[in-house]
Amino acid sequence: MKRPKTKARVKLTRRDFTKIAATAVGSSVAAYLVTTGPLSPFSNLKRQQISPDEDTHTPTGVHHWGMAIDLNKCIGCEYCLRACSAVNDVAPDKPWNIVVEDRTANGQRFYFSRPCLHCQHAPCVEVCPVKATYVREDGLVIMDYDRCIGCRYCEVACPFDARKFNWEPRAEENEFVPTWGVPEVERRPRGVVEKCTFCVHRIDAALERGQTPGEAREATPACVNVCPVGARTFGDLNDPNSPVSEVLARYPTIRLRDELGTEGSVYYIPVGEEA
Amino acid sequence: MASITLRKRRFEFTPGTLSWFALIGLLLLIGLTSAVIVFKEGLVVTNLSNGVPWGLWITIDLSSIALGAGAFTLSAVVYIFGIKRFRSIIRLAVLVGVTGYTSALLTLVIDIGRPDRFWHPWVYWNIHSVLWEITWCITLYLTIMLVEFAPVIAESRLFKDRPGLRRFGHQLHKVAPVLAVAGLLISLLHQSSLGATYGIIKARPIWFKPSMPIMFIVSAIAVGPAVTMAAAYILEWVSGKRIIAHDLLRTIARFSGLALLVYAYIKFWDLLAVTYYGATPGSERAFRTLSLFSAYGFWFWVGEVFFGLLVPVLIFLMPRFNRRPVLLVFGALSAAAGILINRWNITVSGLIVPVSYSPGIEYVLPAQAYSPALVEWGVALGVVGYIFLVFTLATRFLPIFETSDESKVVG
Repeated sequence: MKRPKTKARVKLTRRDFTKIAATAVGSSVAAYLVTTGPLSPFSNLKRQQISPDEDTHTPTGVHHWGMAIDLNKCIGCEYCLRACSAVNDVAPDKPWNIVVEDRTANGQRFYFSRPCLHCQHAPCVEVCPVKATYVREDGLVIMDYDRCIGCRYCEVACPFDARKFNWEPRAEENEFVPTWGVPEVERRPRGVVEKCTFCVHRIDAALERGQTPGEAREATPACVNVCPVGARTFGDLNDPNSPVSEVLARYPTIRLRDELGTEGSVYYIPVGEEA
Repeated sequence: MASITLRKRRFEFTPGTLSWFALIGLLLLIGLTSAVIVFKEGLVVTNLSNGVPWGLWITIDLSSIALGAGAFTLSAVVYIFGIKRFRSIIRLAVLVGVTGYTSALLTLVIDIGRPDRFWHPWVYWNIHSVLWEITWCITLYLTIMLVEFAPVIAESRLFKDRPGLRRFGHQLHKVAPVLAVAGLLISLLHQSSLGATYGIIKARPIWFKPSMPIMFIVSAIAVGPAVTMAAAYILEWVSGKRIIAHDLLRTIARFSGLALLVYAYIKFWDLLAVTYYGATPGSERAFRTLSLFSAYGFWFWVGEVFFGLLVPVLIFLMPRFNRRPVLLVFGALSAAAGILINRWNITVSGLIVPVSYSPGIEYVLPAQAYSPALVEWGVALGVVGYIFLVFTLATRFLPIFETSDESKVVG
């Protein structure tokens, strides 16, 4: 390669400098506005979904339905699983509620049960490509079975294994009906994902009648009603006088995998914390 | 019908072509039967479960999209970076792309629980979902590729008597640079997002890392063009005509080799960070489960690293190897196998390690297990048959390699 004989000297006039500087500043400002600033198409979304300042305990609505589960009281009888499976007509081998035996680090045995935690920043809701699942104003994470395409991404994303896919059409008898309750909702069709609803059909109907979920039995989830030892308490987390708020005020509680920031609506009274 | 008029012109049924078409027919029959069984009986006929809801079919989707990446890479090379000598392979690259993307869509429709609602992502938007964004990108990019490919179809003998259509086809050539820019952006986005599909799942420690989208896009850019290169050689062997200059194909192979080195570098640091320097209890537990309950380690080192990286890098970059077409094709197939195994490893391994959420220390879900059912393999064979069919028909009836016409018009 031959080197060019005369190197073109770059002359930078004041005018050029001003232009370059103005362009640089201008584009930086524009970039800021469009990416993180007020012009960003995502700024609203971010404020809603990832702002740490926001009080995440308060959904946009008046109510926020939540539950407290006392791990000291639970005796592992699985009544909650059965009543839930009967009332919501869930396949008994794919329950919405699970009950398992577990042990604390210092060897204390306890029973652990888990409905859907109804996360306010639910990973399942964030990944759904069609908004077939969403967080309602009252904090409930609900499925739209008419919209779900059955891609199962929510099932993959849920940290709590709380979602179940309908692999086949269901025609079997529900072994828990009628002993543990009668179905109050339709069976879900083949090919969609289903989950615990906190018995939303009871809550919505009861509110119209003027009853208070968590207090009136017909307005309260089946699992809470059936529990023989009163391990589960339900109610409005926004109402300081609701049964669940009173439990939360009295006992120290934890939420499952709180470090993920999913902001679940189910609180656990850990083992050894009973009054 | 069109095929009858074409058959009159030139179509010899030699024993070779006959048995080839018989093979394609058989594969399609198997695939179709499997698909009908799945649609009729539901996904219960697969070995997928609530523990492992994604399996072989998702692996096929991810792989065929990654292997179709030659289309956007080579289009960018020609139309954005202005390296015109690669123009002769663009049509083939786009054909590989179209085939890969349509295979992915076909498999997806069988994989979702409600195929009748396949159109929902286009109507019901969740802009926060990477899967929604991927669906849109794939749709848009497939459209772009079809527009890019339209002139080829317009030039075919099918439309010999339709000069208007041909002129329209040539007009489309003029927007090729615009399509290439749009295709590049959209491809960078969704090829990465396919990795992000796993990388953003904070519940699963071996997925949750920012390197996921980067490794997906880099591996796609590396292997996609190599697959196109292999397709060119194979077509040359089948047709007996030298179609695309060998030095061009060797340049593509060298590019692939270098890109694979970049991929290897990122993979190396990813491995080191996740399993050694930055190991967390979650990831350690996950890898322990994998080594106990799966052959993950074997497939990682032999499939992904040896066949997916080492073999193709050596073949593509060493002058004594990359002058031999047979070795180049072998290298490309080896790299493609590496992609397939990598996508399988990521999907299935991430799922057989169960999520952990109990407040206690004893209860853990059992390690999950998955190996595809016969019907899943059947659908996979059907996809292979579809790929063979599209390739055979396109290369036989479409002017994939006749660029003289185009170059006169476009200049």
